[in-house]
Amino acid sequence: MVDQATTLEHLGLAVGSPGIRSVGPLAFGPEGVLFVGDNVGAAIYAIDVGDSETSGQARAIDLDNLDSSLAAYLGCTREDVEIRDLAVHPGSNNAYLSVMRGSGDAAVPVIVRIDASGAISDVALDEIGFSKSEIEDAADEDDPREVTRVKLRTVTVTDMSYVDGLLVVAGTSNEEFSSTLRRIRFPFTGDTNANSLEIFHVSHGRYETAAPIRAFVPYQGNNSILASYTCTPVVQFTVSDFAPGELAHGKTVAELGAHNRPLDLVSYEQGDEEYLLVANDRHPLIKIACVDIDQQGPLTVPDDSLDSSPADPVTPGVGVPRQLLPHEGVRRMANLDGDNVLMLQQDPEGNIHLHTYDVGDL
Amino acid sequence: MSQVPGEETSAAINLAWCERNGKVALKIDGWDRAVPADLGGPDAGDISRRFALLTTEALESGRDVNSVPPIAGRFEVSGDALFFIPRFPFVAGASYSLVARPHPDAGADAASPIVHIWRPADEAEPTAFVACIYPDVAVVPVNLLKFYLQFSEPMSEGRAQRAIRVCRDDTGEPLEGVFVPMDPELWDPTRQRMTLLLDPARIKHGLVPNMEAGYPLIEGVPFRLFIDPSLRDSRGRPLRAGAERRYDVGPEVRERIDPRKWRLTVPAPGSLDPLQVEFERPLDYALLQRCLWVNGPLGTVVDGHGKSGPGEGSWSFTPAEPWLAGTHQLVVDRQLEDLSGNSPVRVFDRDMTEPDDGPPLTDNVVVDFLCESG
Repeated sequence: MVDQATTLEHLGLAVGSPGIRSVGPLAFGPEGVLFVGDNVGAAIYAIDVGDSETSGQARAIDLDNLDSSLAAYLGCTREDVEIRDLAVHPGSNNAYLSVMRGSGDAAVPVIVRIDASGAISDVALDEIGFSKSEIEDAADEDDPREVTRVKLRTVTVTDMSYVDGLLVVAGTSNEEFSSTLRRIRFPFTGDTNANSLEIFHVSHGRYETAAPIRAFVPYQGNNSILASYTCTPVVQFTVSDFAPGELAHGKTVAELGAHNRPLDLVSYEQGDEEYLLVANDRHPLIKIACVDIDQQGPLTVPDDSLDSSPADPVTPGVGVPRQLLPHEGVRRMANLDGDNVLMLQQDPEGNIHLHTYDVGDL
Repeated sequence: MSQVPGEETSAAINLAWCERNGKVALKIDGWDRAVPADLGGPDAGDISRRFALLTTEALESGRDVNSVPPIAGRFEVSGDALFFIPRFPFVAGASYSLVARPHPDAGADAASPIVHIWRPADEAEPTAFVACIYPDVAVVPVNLLKFYLQFSEPMSEGRAQRAIRVCRDDTGEPLEGVFVPMDPELWDPTRQRMTLLLDPARIKHGLVPNMEAGYPLIEGVPFRLFIDPSLRDSRGRPLRAGAERRYDVGPEVRERIDPRKWRLTVPAPGSLDPLQVEFERPLDYALLQRCLWVNGPLGTVVDGHGKSGPGEGSWSFTPAEPWLAGTHQLVVDRQLEDLSGNSPVRVFDRDMTEPDDGPPLTDNVVVDFLCESG
């Protein structure tokens, strides 16, 4: 482990005990660095997971009743296991999960590794190579208004992606309702906010709003981002439009219907075409062709049936064309190796399984 | 399986809780008599092939014992006893099972004795309670965006989805889909204040969920917010009691906060009297704690203490030093919101066809006031 950490010193990692208090969103960065969102500790860690294995070939990972196996491994009941996120190591293709074991004072953050044989192990979170970036509103630092302020504001990170030297972070404030996308340069420099931007989106050409981004995925060689919101629209941004400190505008390309919340997005290639999958908590798994997003104009006109027959429910298929896939209960997804997509699925009884799907079958 | 915590005994194996290097470990006595032959020395690899500690839940799940992952940890031999030191702490109230596999020489028919032990639960009396529910008002707008729950002590996460509900006060009927699913839950750093977001997709004009399902609340229909005692404090204990609050529901509010309409009671220079500010509508409790401040005649921030008033309808500011004579500024951070998410710089869901809605401003809003001798 120490040798591994030493090899990542050039990325600003140093060996020590990071004191991670919770684990949430995960994303892999350069050279197998794992970014871990710690929402209790208000920080993002870059850690060396000590996984230098190179896969070289497609390896399916399939593990039924993953939650039961994790509970057995962690020595607790199933109720004490909360799987927060899934990511795939770009070199070894091993699956990594962020898992909270227990809650409150007894909560233990765990980074679980699952290899192609389905064997479970965990990444030691003390004496590892790591670096840290605080999640804070930089404006609070040395603020003369301190006397009137009570530091109760938090930003709960909901998703992260590493894009060309920047860790892009979506989060939800526990106070103000806004849409701030943080862009943190990696290796971490301590300058977290210079690249924050507030994003507005317009619905039906009429209502301009901001809302926290729940999940997002870079695509088209990291030139575009497709984001899903707490308020259900799916919005496209062009990365070159991002200017530090500016208000940015995204293009609402689809709505996914009432009482439904997008949970995760993943991109993959099938033939020469790039596609995105959107996992939802109520609706089925949705497949969108990236070329259709480009061709989709901003949503401007509500469905005519709204005016002519308000009793008719509006078809949630407003916007970009989409295909519904049969995979049930998809909660998290990750591109395994280009040829396969790994999915964390919850069955109707609440059991959680990990399955691999060939992109040719999606 | 025994329900009595503490030492457990099989034919020859005794299990007992103990402490090893400051951590709770499991002591396994009599292990050398539980197998037909000695293990041949304290070899941890050999021991872990012969013994496996499992959760009783996993053992009783119906899965093949050999397919259940053993609990992460290590065995240590010391004297006549074997110890299991878990990688993650044993859980209060959980049951554990030691499977002793027969020695390879014992033959295929040899039994695998299993011994169980139960970790005592924390049975301390519950003490935590809901100290306040915000907004602290009687009537909320139909497009209410947030509640804050203030607890008396730090809480655990993960149970809000099941423990919090909203019902019509007239019929008792539950109102469904009111909140954004609480995953992740939104807590302050002390884990004493939780934010509940009402589903913005149903609040925002022009979105399909708003058109399909309407506002989460119903104008003119009072409701109650219920917090079940099954929420857990940081030690895993339930609340001392549940909590509830009744609200009436008024019309929607869809305009910017207008500080020009606030009524200021300005103190005399030289005094330590508070500046008092009456708002034109109730504002967001949490944001009020940090989104207002005062600049003095020299343009610097006045040191002092700001406090929101009853029903979040007012704010007062007491300076640390006596007021100076001259023009001051009450500064309103652009992030301040009312109960419907409108700020001084933008309407929550701006109707771009409405000239009054205007594009969002990028600066804070300032209200001048003059401290002068009466």
